[in-house]
This record gives sequence, C-alpha cells and structure tokens, in this order.
Amino acid sequence: MRFLNIMGAIIVALCTLSVSPVYAGAVDTLQDEYRTAGAGPFSAAEGERQWKIKHKSAKDGKDRSCQTCHGSDLKAKGKHAKTGKVIDPLAPSVNKERLTDIKFINKWFKRNCKWTLGRTCTVQEKGDFLEYLRTQ
Amino acid sequence: MSTTEKSDQTILVWDVPTRIFHWSLVIGFAAAWLTSEDDRFLYHHVYAGYLFIGLLIFRLIWGMVGSHYARFRSFAHDWSSVTDYLKGLMTGQAQRYIGHNPAGGYAIFAILLLGVVVTISGLLVLGGEEGHGPLKNLISYDLGAASKEIHEPTASLMLLLVIAHLAGVIVESLYHKENLIWAMITGHKPLHADAEQVSLHSLVAVLMLGAIFGSAIYYFYGYFTQTEEQPFLAFKSEPLPDNETWRTECGDCHLAFHPVLLPARSWQRIMNEQEEHFDEDLGLDEETADEITRFLMGNASESGLNEVAHEITRDVSANETPLRITETSFWKNQHRKIDERYWESDVVGSEANCGACHRDAEQGWFEDSNMNLPKIYE
Repeated sequence: MRFLNIMGAIIVALCTLSVSPVYAGAVDTLQDEYRTAGAGPFSAAEGERQWKIKHKSAKDGKDRSCQTCHGSDLKAKGKHAKTGKVIDPLAPSVNKERLTDIKFINKWFKRNCKWTLGRTCTVQEKGDFLEYLRTQ
Repeated sequence: MSTTEKSDQTILVWDVPTRIFHWSLVIGFAAAWLTSEDDRFLYHHVYAGYLFIGLLIFRLIWGMVGSHYARFRSFAHDWSSVTDYLKGLMTGQAQRYIGHNPAGGYAIFAILLLGVVVTISGLLVLGGEEGHGPLKNLISYDLGAASKEIHEPTASLMLLLVIAHLAGVIVESLYHKENLIWAMITGHKPLHADAEQVSLHSLVAVLMLGAIFGSAIYYFYGYFTQTEEQPFLAFKSEPLPDNETWRTECGDCHLAFHPVLLPARSWQRIMNEQEEHFDEDLGLDEETADEITRFLMGNASESGLNEVAHEITRDVSANETPLRITETSFWKNQHRKIDERYWESDVVGSEANCGACHRDAEQGWFEDSNMNLPKIYE
C-alpha cells in the first residue's frame, strides 16, 4: 500500500509538472513579467477597448487601429494594410498557434505598436491586449 | 506552251513522310511566329523549335535515303537551269518538272539551311538567356543574348523565303495548270512521260506521327493535370538559394522577394534602414538582421543566378540604389502593358503582390511561361 501511495504521488507530481508549463503558457509568463514591472491587474474589456481605438497616424494622417490589419473579426483572416498579405486569424480558438510563442508575441508587439500607436506599448497595455486576445 | 500532256492518270510523287514533314514544318513555323511576341508562350515557342529540329534532322536524312523526289540530288539543279527556268517562265517556254523545279529547289535548300541557323541560335538563346534546354549551364548569358540578334533576323529572312516559295508555288500552279498545293496533300501528280512512281513509306510515316504526337503529349502533359492549387510550372528551374530566416522574417508581411531581384547595394541599404522599412520598424535583432543581410547580399542580382538577375543588374545603373523592385526601369518596362484595373483588383491589390500573376514568384524564378493574369472581378 505504501509503495502504491508513493507511486501515486510521483505520478501526480509528474503530471502536474508536465502540464503546468502548458497551462501557464506564453500569456501567463508574459503577464507575470509585466506584473513584475509594476503593471496589472489586466482586463479583457480594457484590452478590447484599446484594440479598437483609432490612432491618427503622424505619417499619412490616416486612422490606424489593430483592426486595420487584423480585421473586425478576430476569428477571420486579416490583411496587411499595405501589402495585402493575408494574416491568419488571431483568435486562439480558431488558430491554436496563436499566443504560444513568447519571442513571436514580443516581435509583433514591438513592430505593430510602433506602426499603430506611433510608440511602444506600455506593459499595462500589452497585458490587457493579451487578456483580451486569450478570450477570443 | 508547256510540254505537259494532260492525263487523268496520276502517280505518287511525294511519299507520306515528305508530306508529313512539309505540313508539320508549316504548322511549326506558324506556331513559332505566333508565339514569338508574347513571352508567356515561350514554352510553346520552344516546343515549336524542338519540332523544327526533329523535322530538320529527319529531312536531312530523308534527303539522302528517301524516295526519288525527296532526295536532294533530285532537286539539286545547277545554277544555269535556274536561270533557264526563270527565263522560260517569261517567254512561256518553261519546262515542267515533276519534282521541285530548279528555282524551287534552291528555295528549299535555303529554307532548310536557315532552319538550321534559326534552331541552333534558338537553342543558344534558350540555354544562355533563359537557362533552359540542352545548352543550359554550357554557354554564357551574354552569348545567349547575342544569339537573339541572329535568331530573330534569320527567322524573318525565313519568312521572306516562305513567301517566295508560296509565290513560286502559285506561279507554277497557274503556269502549268496543276494544283501543287493539292499535290503536296495527296502526294499525287498527273502522269508524266518520264515520271518515276515512288512508294508510300507508310511505316516511316507512322513512326514520324508517333514521335510528333508522343513528344507533344509528353511536353504539354502538365497543363492537363494541373490544378488551381498546383498550377503547372513550365520550365522548372534549379531551386535558387534559400534561407529559412529570410523566408520567415521577410515573408511575414509580404512575399519574400528573392535576393536576385535587387543589386547587393540595395539590399544593404534596405537592411541598414530596417527601422524605417516603408513606414515600419522591423525591429529585427542583430543576429537575425545579420543573417538576412548576408543571405540577401550573397545572392543579389549580381550573382547572375537567373535571367531576372541578369536583367536587373544590367538595368540598374551604378549610381542608383533602388529600394523597390518596382522602381527599376526593367520592372516598369516589363509591366507597361498591364491594365490599371489589375493592380486595383482584389486579387492583385498591390504591385508588391508578385505571386498574384507570377506563379513561381516564391521560388524567385519569374519564368515568362509561368505568368498568368488572374481573373479579376469588378
């Protein structure tokens, strides 16, 4: 019996270990990072509001928002504003690869915040965006 | 008047292989002309060329071992008989020849000779400039480009000879009151005192037809089995150098334009200015940017990896550093005939969307034959 108990404990521990990083995921890791930097708590509603705000570009005077390229439906494909290249859906519910790669997320925050807002995003904004996107 | 005695009886003058040769050459020549202007039909044009080569080789052999009137010696008249014949036409004393008359014989030798020059120069253009065919990798791009200056005028000269040949056929047909065109179809001519009956040579004819149709099916087979997703790429080239980082990073926002499309100095400038990349800050880390820069500069247009590379290197002058492929006069010239509506259509949308029409844009090949204007809906 004692042997079984120990084995059981080991199995449970192994399962938890192997599952937990997946469960935590890239979003949790990043949000933890943002919290350490002083941001939080994160709100999906706030993320959604920011996502849809139109920013007037200093470069061409046109309105830019996340939706310019990603479209109004996150479950559908988007289109690059300039080149017309098709962008895969952003919603994790239809595109499992989304929000799984930290390096990838960082790259696009860096590039797209600059294009859309004309500046880098704050850690609070990024945390809210991720909170909003993960619910999609 | 002529010495012909009209008779209802006919004899076979042109064997079947000679007639197949003649009419296939007519079709091949017409096809080559019709496909010579529009580069999209280069693949078809080249088939017409291969057909031509095959036919010429056949004819050179058949001129020595074929039936009586097909043999070269039967129409290799000396030059004085040509002048006699032409004078005879003027005075109404021209002799009737069962095979080719002396003037016609010379026209045929000239057409065959020009055919050899046209096909050999064509193979040089194909191998040197396009990087295809049996001579690819064997001759330089410049030699290929120079051969075009032989290929095109020779083809025009050949057209003149064909017209002369046709005029001759019409004159002789009227003069001797016999339909020579029909004779080249049926092979028969009215019986003539010293005429020699030839045999049909059907077996050779069957082999010829088999070779012509077999090669055509083999050559064009891909067009019949292609699908929307996997269009047939005529002229498959060797894969160009590739790099995963380049393809992923550049392919994020647009087609990963192959390095051959711009000179090295352009790529260097583009990568140096990556924080101002057409209104976007690429924000690539140093390691990634370095790898991409190395790949771009190492395989830039100066590498001469394919025809586009050569054309762009030649086109962009040394004091220019274009940032867009569409800035080069080569690009502009190549696209001058494209209707404005294509660029504005949903399918194309942008001049940067090469792949909308160039089905091999991702490979960086940009073969003329792989162009296809999509259907645009308004």
